[in-house]
Amino acid sequence: MFVMAGVPFGCPQTSTSLRQHPDMAHSDLEQRDLNSAATSHRGDRVFSRIVTGAAFTSLIVLAGIAIFLGVQAVSAFQSQGLDFIFSTGWDINTDPPTAGIWGMLYGSVLLAVIGLAIAVPVALMLSIFMVFLAPQKLAAVLTNLIDLLAAIPSVIIGLWAFYILNPPAEGWQELLNQYLGWIPIFENTSQNFSGTPFIAGLVLAIMMIPIITSISREVLSRTPPDLVNAAEALGCSLWTMLRYVALPYGRGGIVGGVMLGLGRALGETIAVFFVLKLTFETNWYHIIESGGGSIATLIVSRFGEVSGPEELNLLLAAGFFLFLGTIGVNIVANLIVARTGRMQK
Amino acid sequence: MSTMTYQAPMNPDDLVQKPTRPWRQKPRSFTTAVALAVAIPAVISAGLFFYSSIPGALVLTVIFFPLQLLASAIAAWSTRGVRGIADSVIIVNAIGSTVFALVVLLSLIGSLVVRGLRALSAHFVYQNSVFINPSTPLEYGGIGHALLGTILIVGIASLIAVPIGIATAVYITEVRGKAVPYVRFFVQAMSGVPSVVAGLFILTIAVSTGWFSQNAFAGGLAYAILMLPTVARTAEEVLKLIPDELRTGALALGSTRARTVMKVVLPAAKTGIITAILLGIARVIGETAPLLLAAGNNDGTVFNPFGQAIASIPVYIFNNVAVPYPDAVARAWGAALVLMILIAVLFTLARVLGRGRVGRAK
Repeated sequence: MFVMAGVPFGCPQTSTSLRQHPDMAHSDLEQRDLNSAATSHRGDRVFSRIVTGAAFTSLIVLAGIAIFLGVQAVSAFQSQGLDFIFSTGWDINTDPPTAGIWGMLYGSVLLAVIGLAIAVPVALMLSIFMVFLAPQKLAAVLTNLIDLLAAIPSVIIGLWAFYILNPPAEGWQELLNQYLGWIPIFENTSQNFSGTPFIAGLVLAIMMIPIITSISREVLSRTPPDLVNAAEALGCSLWTMLRYVALPYGRGGIVGGVMLGLGRALGETIAVFFVLKLTFETNWYHIIESGGGSIATLIVSRFGEVSGPEELNLLLAAGFFLFLGTIGVNIVANLIVARTGRMQK
Repeated sequence: MSTMTYQAPMNPDDLVQKPTRPWRQKPRSFTTAVALAVAIPAVISAGLFFYSSIPGALVLTVIFFPLQLLASAIAAWSTRGVRGIADSVIIVNAIGSTVFALVVLLSLIGSLVVRGLRALSAHFVYQNSVFINPSTPLEYGGIGHALLGTILIVGIASLIAVPIGIATAVYITEVRGKAVPYVRFFVQAMSGVPSVVAGLFILTIAVSTGWFSQNAFAGGLAYAILMLPTVARTAEEVLKLIPDELRTGALALGSTRARTVMKVVLPAAKTGIITAILLGIARVIGETAPLLLAAGNNDGTVFNPFGQAIASIPVYIFNNVAVPYPDAVARAWGAALVLMILIAVLFTLARVLGRGRVGRAK
């Protein structure tokens, strides 16, 4: 917008010159086809076929998931009609059982939004601290610690959230309700603060922070030092440097990282299972009122006491929508990250 | 001339800015201002925390944080002028976020160690839970059956996912067929499959075909779906690091492509591929949802992977969390500690091997 927006003047030129790097020049030898004359050995052809076949396993698995669960979704629509998506409720005593997953679909999104609202600022600030503020050794230690946080399985996060996070978090929500209760989202009429979307969102945020941090840290640390130094030489303060150099440079990667975190939040099952009271009425926006929905948690919590093939079919159909949503978010996220990566090189 | 290429800034703040002279030593007034900005809010908040009835959470969010922002802003303004204020806000937020993440991590690890050690003992690691109910004291029973189940399931998953994952990486880096971009796209998309969906998929196959029921094999299949993308992507990164001279050298000596890959490239990347396998195992070993659906649970020890339902550590934890018996909960913490130690060992091994690879590259 101002002149400083012109600061990354170096990047387009750098990108083209790097692509013509001598190391990349002689790669035509490597792109030779295995079936070409030089390697028309029969063993080679067999090897090539086996490897190619194995490489398409991921496609086969994805297609398999889509087909197997999609069939279940079709039969769920046949028994429930469109109400399966747009209504709310789960009654297995009628024949056939009536079910609607709207509350769960919406609940998943609500939890993810709460999680993002907490995780994105924290993760962004954390990565700014690690890249631009902390001494290198401290940054290296922090990187390892964040990786450690990412490696903790969701069942352990759930255990921790159930016993350690939950008691104080209920107190925080009471305070929120006491002082900010006039804001509609902090309304609570039942004075029951356990199993709320807020706690579940907080847990999701804790699981998203390492993902978003590690990607935005990597993206920010790829800001060319030339540009950072030039900005400092021009008298940029930290804020102006971030605002006009680093953040525009890494914007795509950060957005992609946020979406990868979103994908994980939508598919998260076990941790949410322990902290969210699953209710079939849609909880539209009362985030500190007990009860909410999550499609992934619905599957696990109903599966234990599934009544018969009809209900199992409904759960599998719910899984199909979970699959569609998370895969969609993940694909978009990866496209964004890949595009930024290409632009930055 | 050269000044003509530099457009003058429109923002008046940018026009009047003074040079920062980073080579100069920080003046004493700066140090004093920073020290005061750190000390004053901390002292006031600590006083309120200990000597007033305001809840601690409120002191932290409503008093300490705004006070810290204000103090830092004043300090920045007095030493660096108006332009320092934005910096001070960023610095306070950045440090605050880091502290938040560290507190969460510390609380997680700390509670895991403190509460987990209560249940941990030799017999806890090797006994099973056949005669154990939630109220049985901690002297009896353990996670031996779950540990064995996890090892069986992870072993089956590795047997399936590792060859396919490495073959995928070989396709991308060695064969370099026409479909490379698509294969990478699908591998990345596959890494976005939620774990519960992987379990549901295997369950649907089991239900609709009737070939198998809930057992270690089904659990291993579900784990393999989650493991494959990690192995494939890490192995791809590793194979890319192998210098092209090795490949061209082998081909020049008359080796076929297949032999080049099997006898030269893969052995050269051995430690890296082991790293890929370890990371793949670490990625899946704590996943609960797929095993709940595909492998089930069992209190006894099961050796047959194609037999009945089998226990695993994550499912063992899952079943002991929300139980109103303190000893059962202690078992959950103990099993969680064992699981976390397993994951830490896997990651450390992967790191050490990964470092060895880089050292030997030249």
